[in-house]
Amino acid sequence: MTDVSSILVIGAGQAAAVAVAALRDQGYQGRVTVVGDEAHAPYERPPLSKDVLAALDTEEPGISVKEADFFSQRDIDLKLGRQVVSLDAEARQATLSDGTVIAYDRCLLATGGTARQLPGFPAQSPQVHYLRTLDDARRLRAALRASRRAVVIGGGFLGLEVASTARRMGVEVSIIETAARVLARAVPEAFSDWLQARVAASGARLYLGQAIAQASLGEAGQPARIILADGTTLDTDMIVVAVGLTPATGLAQQAGLKLDPVNAGIQVDAQCRSSDPFVYAAGDCTSQLRDGYPGPLRLESWQNANEQARIAACAMVGAPAEPAAYPWFWTDQFDCNVQMLGLPQPDLRYVTRGQPDPQGPAPKFIMLGMRDGRPCHALAVNAGGDLRALRPLLERALPVDAQRFTDESVAMRAFAKAALAEAAG
Amino acid sequence: MNWIKIAQVGQVDEDESLAVDIDGKKLALHFTQGEYFVSDNVCTHQYALLSDGYIEDGCVECPLHQAQFDLRTGKAMCAPATVDIQVYPVKTEGEDIFVSL
Repeated sequence: MTDVSSILVIGAGQAAAVAVAALRDQGYQGRVTVVGDEAHAPYERPPLSKDVLAALDTEEPGISVKEADFFSQRDIDLKLGRQVVSLDAEARQATLSDGTVIAYDRCLLATGGTARQLPGFPAQSPQVHYLRTLDDARRLRAALRASRRAVVIGGGFLGLEVASTARRMGVEVSIIETAARVLARAVPEAFSDWLQARVAASGARLYLGQAIAQASLGEAGQPARIILADGTTLDTDMIVVAVGLTPATGLAQQAGLKLDPVNAGIQVDAQCRSSDPFVYAAGDCTSQLRDGYPGPLRLESWQNANEQARIAACAMVGAPAEPAAYPWFWTDQFDCNVQMLGLPQPDLRYVTRGQPDPQGPAPKFIMLGMRDGRPCHALAVNAGGDLRALRPLLERALPVDAQRFTDESVAMRAFAKAALAEAAG
Repeated sequence: MNWIKIAQVGQVDEDESLAVDIDGKKLALHFTQGEYFVSDNVCTHQYALLSDGYIEDGCVECPLHQAQFDLRTGKAMCAPATVDIQVYPVKTEGEDIFVSL
């Protein structure tokens, strides 16, 4: 740790906040500088599409990652509203938009990403909304409140969460998805079917497998019109584009770091170190190989940001770190808490415990994706506690009897305990 | 102290929790390693019942976003929760479990 006395963190989101807290927790006493281009101190992004969107302006929920005085108390220099305009990996220094030059011994890129732009839907257009930042969420909230109809482009997690919140706010919602089903890359088909029925039950309309043939965005205050490939015409007061994230890798490219050719993330090793030994990266902007998965992964999740930040912080100061936790992801939508353990893979066979009723107030079920009788992916609807009990079975890929798993007369925890005991012999 | 009966011994299995409402207060009775604990039942992060959660190593984990709270102190142990839950004194007398609010 002796040779490290200055650490620069570029980006001021979830990963940045967790990383600097971990640095101090490790006893690192050197300089820590955090530079973020937003005006806000690090905040949690998951609520942006949910509670923050539905809140009254005066009652916005607190979403700060750390308490207001955390950064000053722990002697962290938080520079907000400023951009890093260049990163010189050879000289080990960065230059900010205000001309400040910051030298570093270790640099952490926690740059996240930006909402992927859809051609023909410029963010500057009054009816068009993208959602990535708190400011985006506030603008979107005001528009939802003033609108009767909204079109959401994209049936991924973010698009569906926004659609769900918009329905809660009484807005008529149409969702357009080019794939044949929602969440196509993340969940099995049976789950998409259930969720689509749930979406329809909320009153939102789904247009699946549909390309946009034509869009005309009117003047401010005028409705916009979208025409789909099959001729369907949608007139709307506003459009939310949620078609994915573009990782922010401009500085990484400038510094000559290796990027993954497929997922465009910054290549990092298990310690979150990039191709430059003094530069690390964490969160949405990274690409990393993980045990059990064939290709590099760029995970956009709250957990991944936290875990990579913790691991990178330890590595930067030469401290040992616990390995990354088993992948976990959640979404709250259409009155359901959906959690996933593990990642989807081809050729998994899914078994379902409970009834995937799309109509009820709080349907509860778990789908377990197995290969050779061992679980590798699980999805739980309103059953987080049960899913938690299953976690050790997934972590250790222990054999699971599908019939016993689906037997609801045995509590999930008892089932998991028995499976663990059997594995222990 | 004003002790109120909350449940009977044997009503909660090991590492399980029971939701109990007393005077409109949502409480959770937890049983782990032979000991009973009573806490507020609603997570401080977002609305969820801790009695639907998971108990491990003296903590209850929220079923919604895996925030953990120490059953003995109520302390929020990890993100996303930052605010502690309230915990209450518990005693057993014979077959009855009492809480003091």
